[in-house]
Amino acid sequence: MEKLHFSFDTKEPIQKPVHVGVVASGDLEVIFRPTTDTKSDINIVTGSDGFKEVWQNVLDRFFARYPIQANIEINDFGSTPGVVNLRLTQAMEALKDEK
Amino acid sequence: MKNSFVELHARERAEALLDDDVRELVGPLDNMISPHLEPQGIVPESDDGVVLMRGTINGKSALVISIEGKFQGGGIGEVSGAKIVAALEKALEDNQAGKTIYPVLVLDTGGVRLQEANYGLLSISEIQNAVIALKKFVPVIGLVPGRVGSFGGMSITASILSYLIATKKARIALNGPEVIEQEAGVREFDSSDKDLIWNTLGTKQRLATGLVDEVVEDTVDNIKKSVSDAIDAKKDAHRTENIDFYLSLLDKLDLSKKLDIDGYRKLYSEVKSEKHVIDDAVGSNTPGTKSRGRVWFEKLTGIKNAKSSVSTVLHAEKDGKEYVAIVPDADNKFPRVRDGEVGLEEGFAVASIVNKVVADDADKDIKRPIIMVVDVPSQAYGYQEELIGIHVALGSSAAAYAKARQAGHPVIAFIPGDAVSGGFLAHGLQSNRLIALDDTSITIQAMSKASAARITQRTIAELEEATKHVPAMAYDIDNYEKLGALYKLVKGIGSYDATDENVAKINSIIDEAIQTTVGKPADLHFRYETPIAIESGRKATNAVRKAVFEQWNA
Repeated sequence: MEKLHFSFDTKEPIQKPVHVGVVASGDLEVIFRPTTDTKSDINIVTGSDGFKEVWQNVLDRFFARYPIQANIEINDFGSTPGVVNLRLTQAMEALKDEK
Repeated sequence: MKNSFVELHARERAEALLDDDVRELVGPLDNMISPHLEPQGIVPESDDGVVLMRGTINGKSALVISIEGKFQGGGIGEVSGAKIVAALEKALEDNQAGKTIYPVLVLDTGGVRLQEANYGLLSISEIQNAVIALKKFVPVIGLVPGRVGSFGGMSITASILSYLIATKKARIALNGPEVIEQEAGVREFDSSDKDLIWNTLGTKQRLATGLVDEVVEDTVDNIKKSVSDAIDAKKDAHRTENIDFYLSLLDKLDLSKKLDIDGYRKLYSEVKSEKHVIDDAVGSNTPGTKSRGRVWFEKLTGIKNAKSSVSTVLHAEKDGKEYVAIVPDADNKFPRVRDGEVGLEEGFAVASIVNKVVADDADKDIKRPIIMVVDVPSQAYGYQEELIGIHVALGSSAAAYAKARQAGHPVIAFIPGDAVSGGFLAHGLQSNRLIALDDTSITIQAMSKASAARITQRTIAELEEATKHVPAMAYDIDNYEKLGALYKLVKGIGSYDATDENVAKINSIIDEAIQTTVGKPADLHFRYETPIAIESGRKATNAVRKAVFEQWNA
């Protein structure tokens, strides 16, 4: 298990918290929370050690596309970058959901 | 598969069972995360693998408790367990106040979360207690959709539920095949033989032999309809009340050959239930198999070389107290209980004894205290035990003790020996006070190190390292004390030191413990309320309870 932390300067505050995913084998859960800070903090707990660079790349790409201002928590149980990207995108969908 | 219920995750399953308007209690955004996983290098989950959701089922107020089988095998730890207990207790409160609410449990669980072992056992006994109390008001419906299925202590819970619905994708058992293979050898149960496993533990066989009540096609609509119908019909299988039937069945069991699936179906259909009464133990000239439990039972009751019609279950009344012990018998006809394990006969016999005590005292103002002498190295690990349904045997005794306590009997567990796993759930954990000797020989845990290492895919060295950081993972009584569940840890008396002086001392501690139950609620809350529990041992439990209580009516 490894804990990782990333930070991005962002400018589009989110309005509500959202949660998607399950900490199942090869999967992860993602929580977005609103923040009043001017940056986004990402805290990751992952079961697969040694992938900091891969996470950096996935997050770089995500924030380039969606520069949201949010505190993000991720609990990961060995998901691939593709699955990570999918869950992050699903969380964006959930933000838009009116429910 | 289109519209499959089994394929859904726990949260979606809860939503699927409820009508549109739902409200989740203590969900992923509430930060109630297990404090015990990260110190062991295990990734936690924000809801700790349990979803609590309120809403309606076809217009009727309902609480769905859904366990996520994909997170850590659906194991019950401190936080997930406390969520379930707190929600069930609020549902009980509402029902008591005339606000009918129907609880539904979606079980997809391996039982105790081995990484939080002793918390899992405590929580599961507390869940069982709440279910028994709720059943006086409403049916408590269980659903085992499948993938993990239902195993371990949560199968004991499943046997206590009012009505059990499953799909053919589920398996229900106490011990998983891998654990039986580890404990009793590959010839007892070959965990690589998938056909044997499904034919034995699958719901087709379970339906034919009374261990589940309904097997439905795996679609959301079918399953919701079955649950809703079961609520409307107030279904109750009374599964843990067939004690005479099972004791009669065990009398007829031919132990000279290995029981197989067809043989058991035949036996099950032919058995006629006969009344069984297990008389008080009497003295004899031949000593029974030596054990810590036997030594203390004989000293506390004054019966020398105690023997009984069920050689592994001793009970007797002394000075107005009913003592019950499960003991080893080196020559027992059931090979898997010879070291004092709790097997089929033990579970049903204890249930029979305790139910009789409750019936005898039904009209009395003062109920007789029941003292369990606890020295149980585990539940029995065996193939025929699983085929017949050992989880129902253990559920029957757990239910009997819980009902006795709820009827006003002080139920005290005195632990001079081991207190392990399903054995402890069946005989010990339904007590309102736990008293233990401070002896290094005592093991108190959910699974042996070899099996726990195998199931959690760690080495024994890694497992032992984890026990240093997480007291609930440890195997000794001193670490157990740190959880705050004990009424008293008695120092200076060894497991076998049942001298007259020590027996008198234990007797006075038992009497004190009984006194502390007088006028107090007959629940298991004592365990959360000791100074150690509040300070550290059940800190997460108490925080979860507070959060559930605050959100219940929000």
